[in-house]
Amino acid sequence: MLKKAQIDIHPADSAVSLTNVTKIFTQWQRDNTGKGIIKNLIKPEKQTITALNNVTFTVKKGEFVAYAGPNGAGKSTTMKLLAGMLMPNKGNISVLSMSPQEQRIQLMNRLGILFGNRTELWWDHPIIQSFEWKKIVWGISDEVYKQNLTMVTDLLGIGSLHKTFARELSLGQRMRADLAMMLLHSPEIILLDEPTLGLDVVAKRQMIDFLKKINKENNVTIIVTSHDMDDLEEMAERILMISGGRIAFDGSFSELRSLTGNLTRVVITMEADSAPRIKNGNLLSSNNGLFEYDIDLAKTSIKDLLSQLSEVKGVRDVEIKKAPIEQVIAGLYKVWGSGARIG
Amino acid sequence: MEVKKAIKRTISLFAISAKLDLVWLLRDTKFALAAILADAISNISVVSSVYLIAFRFGGIGGMSVDEVLFMMAYSTIVTGIFILFGSGNNIHISRIIGRGQLEHSFMQPLTLRAQLLTSGFSPFTGSSNFIIGCALLLISIYKLHLRITIWWILLLVIYILSTMVIIIARSYLVSSAAFYAPVAAEEISSTAIDGTWQLSTFPLSGMPYFIQLPLLTILPEGLMAWFPSLCLLGKTPMNFSEYYPLIYALIIALAANYIFRRGLNYYVKKGSNRYTPRGFRR
Repeated sequence: MLKKAQIDIHPADSAVSLTNVTKIFTQWQRDNTGKGIIKNLIKPEKQTITALNNVTFTVKKGEFVAYAGPNGAGKSTTMKLLAGMLMPNKGNISVLSMSPQEQRIQLMNRLGILFGNRTELWWDHPIIQSFEWKKIVWGISDEVYKQNLTMVTDLLGIGSLHKTFARELSLGQRMRADLAMMLLHSPEIILLDEPTLGLDVVAKRQMIDFLKKINKENNVTIIVTSHDMDDLEEMAERILMISGGRIAFDGSFSELRSLTGNLTRVVITMEADSAPRIKNGNLLSSNNGLFEYDIDLAKTSIKDLLSQLSEVKGVRDVEIKKAPIEQVIAGLYKVWGSGARIG
Repeated sequence: MEVKKAIKRTISLFAISAKLDLVWLLRDTKFALAAILADAISNISVVSSVYLIAFRFGGIGGMSVDEVLFMMAYSTIVTGIFILFGSGNNIHISRIIGRGQLEHSFMQPLTLRAQLLTSGFSPFTGSSNFIIGCALLLISIYKLHLRITIWWILLLVIYILSTMVIIIARSYLVSSAAFYAPVAAEEISSTAIDGTWQLSTFPLSGMPYFIQLPLLTILPEGLMAWFPSLCLLGKTPMNFSEYYPLIYALIIALAANYIFRRGLNYYVKKGSNRYTPRGFRR
């Protein structure tokens, strides 16, 4: 029998708490040679994957947390553990002071979960029918249902979609409908796994605005995973980064930037098509007198930079901006991939 | 109070499944009626063939034509209940397990048992066989001049329930393989149940003992209609106890419960990566 996870009692303001959680999977392995196939018949080769390795973190009520990491880092596994879909091999998990594995039914009345690559809508029915199904299955009162239906319909702009069959919806419409359905029972915590996956800029914008609004106005705790770091930076205040099954970073986005040496982008417009020489500056691109540099402000201060530029002839314009978060993360993934630690 | 609340909730879950079934039927009524009719014809033809043989030869293996009709009625009712309550793959559970769709169930604030009991209820598209079975039952009762008492009706209900328990337990027993081999065992339930369904409509009376015995033990097709029908007609075969189907149902249900729970524990420990993003099939 499986060893059940213990229930931890946590302070009232804690929404999610993981303590030393380890999750291990086994993968079948086989090469394509005749020898490998025969060997596999006798003694199948298996590989052990540690998806989460002694992971510990806490999320307070009302927080908006980005949960990021490279492919296969353990993001979806964490989401499934929090929703009681998987059991940890070791460690304690508490969501709203409940064990997802032992109190799944009570927890599901207060938690919402959305996977970007799947839908909870009834495929062969109009979406309003799925909403009504949810009302019955979740036992939502008429009053709460009406109130939430009005709220999500207005905020997500899905009024015109109520009568549309789920199979007829575009990806963006389907995601909005799924998000609306998830919120009908007023969840206190929502877990979103890649909610912006495949969405165009307009649909993405709508979703981000909506999530920020319900987090601020309804104090809903949100944990979101995404590959799009710009989206995450815009949505969340805090970022938890997982790599190789371990929490590699936990803090704000500005702290994350400073980890990699405070990278800054400087765009210089010159009268002539000749690149100015900037000390410690890494030239990224040049185009018709427009030169873009990466500069580490930890090595070269703004004062030094401006002083250098004042001595360069032919400078027409200077623009200083933060390096894209994607660049920062890519740098971190590279370092983590090599096994080195930062900070 | 709690019991009353639970009953009310279960009824509301059955009701929403029934409503989904009704609106699906009304979405494209012509198509739905054609599907219902095809289903009914297909199932009736299975039992008709056996009945026609019995009619041509004046019975099968010591069973009269009307007794065969009674057995066919029993079989059609069982098929009818199977379709009536199991149209959402909740009986052919290997499909849900194999496709990694149990995760949908884990998101609902309901026990898995409550979901599986209510989610496949389809009284509007799935009741044709049940109704035909009931009609055949009335005809055969009339032809056999059976004396119907409350006890006999209760016995009929108990036998039908035990047959249903055997079918579901068999399905869950073999479906447990899908926890360990989701790709290979996705369709194992329909193979195990539907693959031998025709055998269950054939009267085993007059067959040699070495054929009858395995079909009442290893592959319990004889318990799907033949054995309980003869018990209800007061002709319990093979000197077995008339409680044999009940005992068999209890044993196989306990075995299925144990094996399925083990599989479920394995599933929540190992997870499933078989989910197809656009493959929403419930």
